Amino acid sequence: MQKRFPWFPVFAVLALATFPLSALTSSPTANIVLTTMQQELQRATKALAKTDPAPYYMSYAVTDTDETAVAASNGSVIYSASVDRRQADVMMRVGSVALDNTHSQSRASGITSGLLPLNDDTNAIARVLWQLTDREYEQASAAYLKVKTNNAVRSEEEDKSPDFSSEAPQDHLNLVPLRPPSDQQIWEGRTRKLSAGFLKYPEVYTSYVSFNISADRSYLATSEGTALIRPGAIARLVIQAETRADDGMELMRVESFQAATASQLPSDAELAAKVDKIAADLKALRAAPAADPYAGPAMLSGRAAAVFFHEVLGHRLEGHRQRDENEGQTFTKKVNQLVLPAFLSVADDPTMKELNGVQLAGHYDFDDEGVPAARVVAVENGVLKNFLMSRMPIKNFSTSNGHGRRQPGLMPTGRQGNLIVTSSNTVKDSELRERFIAEIKKQGKPYGLYFDDIQGGFTLTGRASPQAFQVIPVMVYRVYADGRPDELVRGVDIVGTPLLSLNNIVLTGDTLQVFNGICGAESGQVPVAAAAPSMLFTEIEVQKRRRGSERPPILPPPGFESTAATPPANAAKTAAPGAKP
Amino acid sequence: MSAFVRASAVTAGPSRRFAITVALLLALFLAGTGPAAVAQAQQAQPKSSAAAATGASSAAVQSDPLLKAMREELDRSKSQLKMDNVPAPYYVEYRLSDVDEYSAEAVFGALRQDQRIHVRNLRVVVRVGDYKQDSYYGPGTGFVNIAPRDDDSVALRRELWLATDRAYKIASEALASKKAVLSQYTADQPFNDFARAPALESVGPFVKLDFTPAPWKETLEKVTDLYRTDAKIQSLSAYVRFRAVNDYFVNTEGTSTRQGYIVYSLNLSAETQADDGMELGRSPFYVGASASELPSQEKLLAETAKMLQSLKDLREAPMVEEDYRGPILFSNDAASDILDGMIGGNILGIRPKPGDSARTTGEFSSNYKGRVLPTFLSVVDDPTMKSFDGKSLIGSYQIDQEGVRVASLPVIKDGILIEYLLGRMPIRDFADSNGHGRAAPGQSPSPNIGNLILQPKESSSPDELKKKLIEMCKQEGKPYGYYAETLVGNNPRLLYRVYVSDSHEELVRGAVFNELDTRTLRNNLVAAGNDPLVSNREGAVPTTVISPSILFDELEVKRTDKKNAKLPEYPPPTIAAH
Repeated sequence: MQKRFPWFPVFAVLALATFPLSALTSSPTANIVLTTMQQELQRATKALAKTDPAPYYMSYAVTDTDETAVAASNGSVIYSASVDRRQADVMMRVGSVALDNTHSQSRASGITSGLLPLNDDTNAIARVLWQLTDREYEQASAAYLKVKTNNAVRSEEEDKSPDFSSEAPQDHLNLVPLRPPSDQQIWEGRTRKLSAGFLKYPEVYTSYVSFNISADRSYLATSEGTALIRPGAIARLVIQAETRADDGMELMRVESFQAATASQLPSDAELAAKVDKIAADLKALRAAPAADPYAGPAMLSGRAAAVFFHEVLGHRLEGHRQRDENEGQTFTKKVNQLVLPAFLSVADDPTMKELNGVQLAGHYDFDDEGVPAARVVAVENGVLKNFLMSRMPIKNFSTSNGHGRRQPGLMPTGRQGNLIVTSSNTVKDSELRERFIAEIKKQGKPYGLYFDDIQGGFTLTGRASPQAFQVIPVMVYRVYADGRPDELVRGVDIVGTPLLSLNNIVLTGDTLQVFNGICGAESGQVPVAAAAPSMLFTEIEVQKRRRGSERPPILPPPGFESTAATPPANAAKTAAPGAKP
Repeated sequence: MSAFVRASAVTAGPSRRFAITVALLLALFLAGTGPAAVAQAQQAQPKSSAAAATGASSAAVQSDPLLKAMREELDRSKSQLKMDNVPAPYYVEYRLSDVDEYSAEAVFGALRQDQRIHVRNLRVVVRVGDYKQDSYYGPGTGFVNIAPRDDDSVALRRELWLATDRAYKIASEALASKKAVLSQYTADQPFNDFARAPALESVGPFVKLDFTPAPWKETLEKVTDLYRTDAKIQSLSAYVRFRAVNDYFVNTEGTSTRQGYIVYSLNLSAETQADDGMELGRSPFYVGASASELPSQEKLLAETAKMLQSLKDLREAPMVEEDYRGPILFSNDAASDILDGMIGGNILGIRPKPGDSARTTGEFSSNYKGRVLPTFLSVVDDPTMKSFDGKSLIGSYQIDQEGVRVASLPVIKDGILIEYLLGRMPIRDFADSNGHGRAAPGQSPSPNIGNLILQPKESSSPDELKKKLIEMCKQEGKPYGYYAETLVGNNPRLLYRVYVSDSHEELVRGAVFNELDTRTLRNNLVAAGNDPLVSNREGAVPTTVISPSILFDELEVKRTDKKNAKLPEYPPPTIAAH
């Protein structure tokens, strides 16, 4: 049986909570949860010290989440729910910092998760923590024994760093109360209305408007004495629409909006205008010619460049990848070498809250291992200086720089926060286009490609796959040397190897554009931002996007029989009588 | 889907998907249980299924906006949907399932989950070919998607339009694949791919959940708070799941139906370990058609206390050390598991894969008209029965998810297998559905039981059966026989030795049955009780089995070879006063 899953961002298991939220909002409760965690952690540490092999580190991380999600399509709600949830993660390391159960492929043995009671019942909370801890000890100790055995027989690893860094414990309780929940009915009304805006466009086959807001509080208690309570909040609205070209190519447009609170999201009028724009873009894409494979000058908008850097560079700066024997390790050996043109610098700075008036989604004060967030200058004037580090040391980088991040239920790894690309070789954005056209002429090409917006891509950093990355463009234009108007094309994918492509950047614009989103990797989904100026490449290579083989719908949508936006498969049969809509 | 699924205008790392939650959502469509006393609104005259179904449908169907919208889009598709060089569909069906589910869970006296979800999904099947051979194969067995939750015919028809288009394109490919696979086999399939069925119009009442959450949450907390009474109880949790499903169904043969069912269930779960580490658990469940049919809070507290006591007794019970082969008595509770698994699972007329010449999957596939039980036993499946002994039967229904009406059906008569339960997929010698094509929301229909009832021609009281057990053991010179009170799977959970000398009972642990299978049922069942028990079961579709106690003259008991688990590394936290 074929299942088609429509795409939804950031939905957890959701429901309409009838549970009173006072338990999750008041400050005394927050302390009771943390105190219970600390007491039980202490008891567990003491008891397990008598075992062999014994854990040398333990932590309890609890996340209270209050989340509302509403989605609508074609003027009808398709999903609407709220959920309160308290998840506990017990993390444990058995062995020693030099070698423990989380080594290499065994990292997942370091965590066991479960749901905790939602109220202040310390007995019940402590008892579930005890269950999870006992289970985690069984898992971690067995994994450690395996790791010890494997380590003895496997060939020497390249990177012999320890498995855990030494960090100072932190004590910081941010007891700001959780925001009251969003009014589900209001959001049902808004998404319903917005989604209905697509109904008048028969060439839009599928569309969704989804709203998701969550407020959370994270508690962390560790056997090293760290005690943290951190609030978090995110509101996200996504509009997505799809169609298909006559040759079967799937075409999609997505717009997403992200802020800390729902009130900071755009107005209904602005969103309705986006709906119309998305529909217009899809219509234009359907009519646009399919792109040919091409290698030549290209210009990326700031937003496109930001995503480009997140994918091509950002993921490759993640600390744990430098050590994983299965990873490509593109940059591992290039510390203190030029990896970018000398006029470019890249920093990842989670301490930044906003840039040019735009909130940055990757802001946080402490990472998920309790290490303070820090600004990391990863590339300085083109030279690789640093990686994004969790508490997993790598060769020559023995400490965390506050980039250990995860979603609940998964072990943390080094992740991006706010990736900021700056340039010292800039011109005004308007002038960049002129320089772009000059470059096209210089190379004797008929046109160059301008990438206005991209959908996001995926990166294959593993050794088993080619060092390819794909940043999936959405709106791409041919910019002609001879002054013809720009021409939209469809089906373009940027390809290439990271090292080569980055070094083709020759000039940038002077304004940073911000891109907020959710990034997924081994340690799960985390909010991130990336900022970059528009960029001129002397060469970008593109290939034709793999098309779906399914042609557009045979019949027009119900209600559009007379307009017949999509030519019916068999023209002779269009006049057949059928029930009226 | 292409790489589009991956990113939400966001960069994604190595193969990360966002559709996880929708998958979770669709996974929730494991149907619960629950009977609904469905009254027929109207019975239309059956039409020939070969006729095109564009005639006027009954007023009841027209008055339901969802059925009306579904029928309109169906008619449009049937009359217009056609690709060049591909045959037009000969059959199309839509099923819209509305699911409203409440669930809550407590552990150690505290609530940790409390949620209500209301969603709809739709399933579209397009068949090309004909009744003899069609495209219902591989991906051609149905296209499923989430559906609008509002009663909005515009949104619904849009969804149906796309789904039908997709299902049609898939069907044309599926038929080609199927023909390719079948070309490997020389013999023709001696039965049709799809059985004909008369058109049927029936709009039953829309069923709704009716309960107040607060008392249930309190009950869950109170019963699980009893962990305090026994320090060796490692885990004690309880959850409720209340689910209402309303299915809307239309097809191009003229069938239009709306049917609903409701199931209320409460499940307890407790775990402990004996001093040698053997893991011991109990998981009793209570299932009914309304909240009032579940036990009261007082009763549940008593039941939970009883359950905890039984775990204590199990901890202290001796291990089964020696093998035993002899008479064993099964309580009606234990017998219902056997009836469900060993009989219910094997009387289903499920067509095997192409090329497999067996009549059906399952162990009774070559037993048609043969003896499968002793001659004093019969089995009937009667989904039209709504209650028994004052209890609602959640396996009740009137019309299955393929739009076929069901009737009471004798399946095993005086030990002889005379029927298989069937949907519209014929098997050898069985050309027609008998109304057992059942499906959970979003799933493809498949033969399943409704209310399965074991009927002994002669029976004895439970006391008499116990006396008989002792008598048989005495004759064989055995010091004791066995009495199984409850099972888990095909193995005993509460098993007692019954001593011949004075009839006293002794609980034992660590036992498994050896070779308890359909042969045992045929050859070793010698008596049945007069104590039929209604066992409502919440599975993918709701079912009920009704069985009395049963007595085997020979069955083997031996010690389990499952290894004991380690005891916890350290004791649980001491309970602080509130």
